[in-house]
Amino acid sequence: MNILKKLKQIRHKEPGIREFCIQTIRFKKFLENARALLDLFEDGREKALGEYIFDRHYVVTLIDSVIERLGMMVYDGCVLVPESGEKLYTTYDTHKRTARNLIDFSGIVKKAVSPGDVTPETSKTVDQEYQLLSEALQWFNGKDAPLDSTVMAFMKQIFLKVIQGHGSSEVIKNRSLFENSCGKIPDMGIYLIDLWKDQLALPEGNSSINDFNSIPLNHLLMDAGGKDLKAHPNPDWIAAVGEYQLSLNSLRADFQFHLVTLATGDADADFIFIFADDAAILDTLLPPGFHTENTGYGQFAWNLGISEKTIEDSLMIIGRNLFN
Amino acid sequence: MSKPLEVLLLDDEPIVGRRLKPALVKIGCRVEVFENPREAVARIGQKEFDIVVTDIRMEEMDGLQVFKHVQEKWPRTKVIMITGYAKIDLAREAMGKGVFDFIAKPFRPDDLRQIIANAAEALGAPIDFSSMGDELVEA
Repeated sequence: MNILKKLKQIRHKEPGIREFCIQTIRFKKFLENARALLDLFEDGREKALGEYIFDRHYVVTLIDSVIERLGMMVYDGCVLVPESGEKLYTTYDTHKRTARNLIDFSGIVKKAVSPGDVTPETSKTVDQEYQLLSEALQWFNGKDAPLDSTVMAFMKQIFLKVIQGHGSSEVIKNRSLFENSCGKIPDMGIYLIDLWKDQLALPEGNSSINDFNSIPLNHLLMDAGGKDLKAHPNPDWIAAVGEYQLSLNSLRADFQFHLVTLATGDADADFIFIFADDAAILDTLLPPGFHTENTGYGQFAWNLGISEKTIEDSLMIIGRNLFN
Repeated sequence: MSKPLEVLLLDDEPIVGRRLKPALVKIGCRVEVFENPREAVARIGQKEFDIVVTDIRMEEMDGLQVFKHVQEKWPRTKVIMITGYAKIDLAREAMGKGVFDFIAKPFRPDDLRQIIANAAEALGAPIDFSSMGDELVEA
């Protein structure tokens, strides 16, 4: 089912809840685009390090794919934080120019070198395809590239803007929206929204999280209450769930925490992403295997391409550390 | 193997021939490299190669035209197509017409060497990789 068909199924009548659902789905798309960019970087790195045969067409396609995917990420960022749109697109245009310069410059050099002039001894130094790939990798995420000039640096900027926007979002801070819509005290202090169904909370008279058919939510709470989920008088969390998806947000004004995970059983697609404005929290929360990035605003952590077992174990540990 | 495999390698991107030729020579192939498909076809007209490795997408003449020419002139010759991801469907279709196999760029020389070995086997002239041990690793 494509995303448009799924969106049509979100029939929450409360506009605030609908907006929350749409933001949640858009943020997941944003993460998927970021992940695709990291995969492109990795593909290029592998080709540069390994003994691969590739041509100029491969490198040009790689550069074009990075620009295309970066554009999708910028678009997602603008949807999530519209006030950042102008700045993000200005920087994106700079990256598009960098990409074109890379490709065009390499073309000029290529024409200047006649194959007949290349000796076996010097051929390694004048293979334009390898030179172009090396320059592209520097632009993607090069350690020697000027500060803030890489695609990775720009991705971090977008992330920061999106996370800051998310933290100050009216919807996520509107605790009464979820209180009024749920109308009951939730288990574990977590308000729940089913992303794809025409219901906000649980059936009348039933307040068990176990009634939600969400694999990642079950993993998260497996060791944090188990079957004895207790109603919590002071809810601090809002979770949007689907069968394979979970987006958990803190409702507390003094603590920004955002966990997004996909647990389909397909290691190539599944991931866990976490942001916390207090880096110390993540230090005690995370199992091994996570990549972390510190910023002045907080800490990002992610684990990509993980097996079904690892995602289950990781969510279980995170849930235990978070809720116990 | 008593007689070296005669291989014609055609790709209009010079880097492919430059990087592949040494890798194939190391497994005992005698390799002629071409960047111009017309020159390659002219050479095929003169000499029977055991294996022709050709890019599928070239400006003057595409790999399928080269394959047709080989098939008419030397039906025993095995043709292997090099293709980009965008042309994989075309390469699969070509296999239905008699192309021996295809390989998608980017690829490792070892991947092509394996296909060459399969083609050699089909020609009744198997390549003995075990006797090449260290040399192959260095390649």
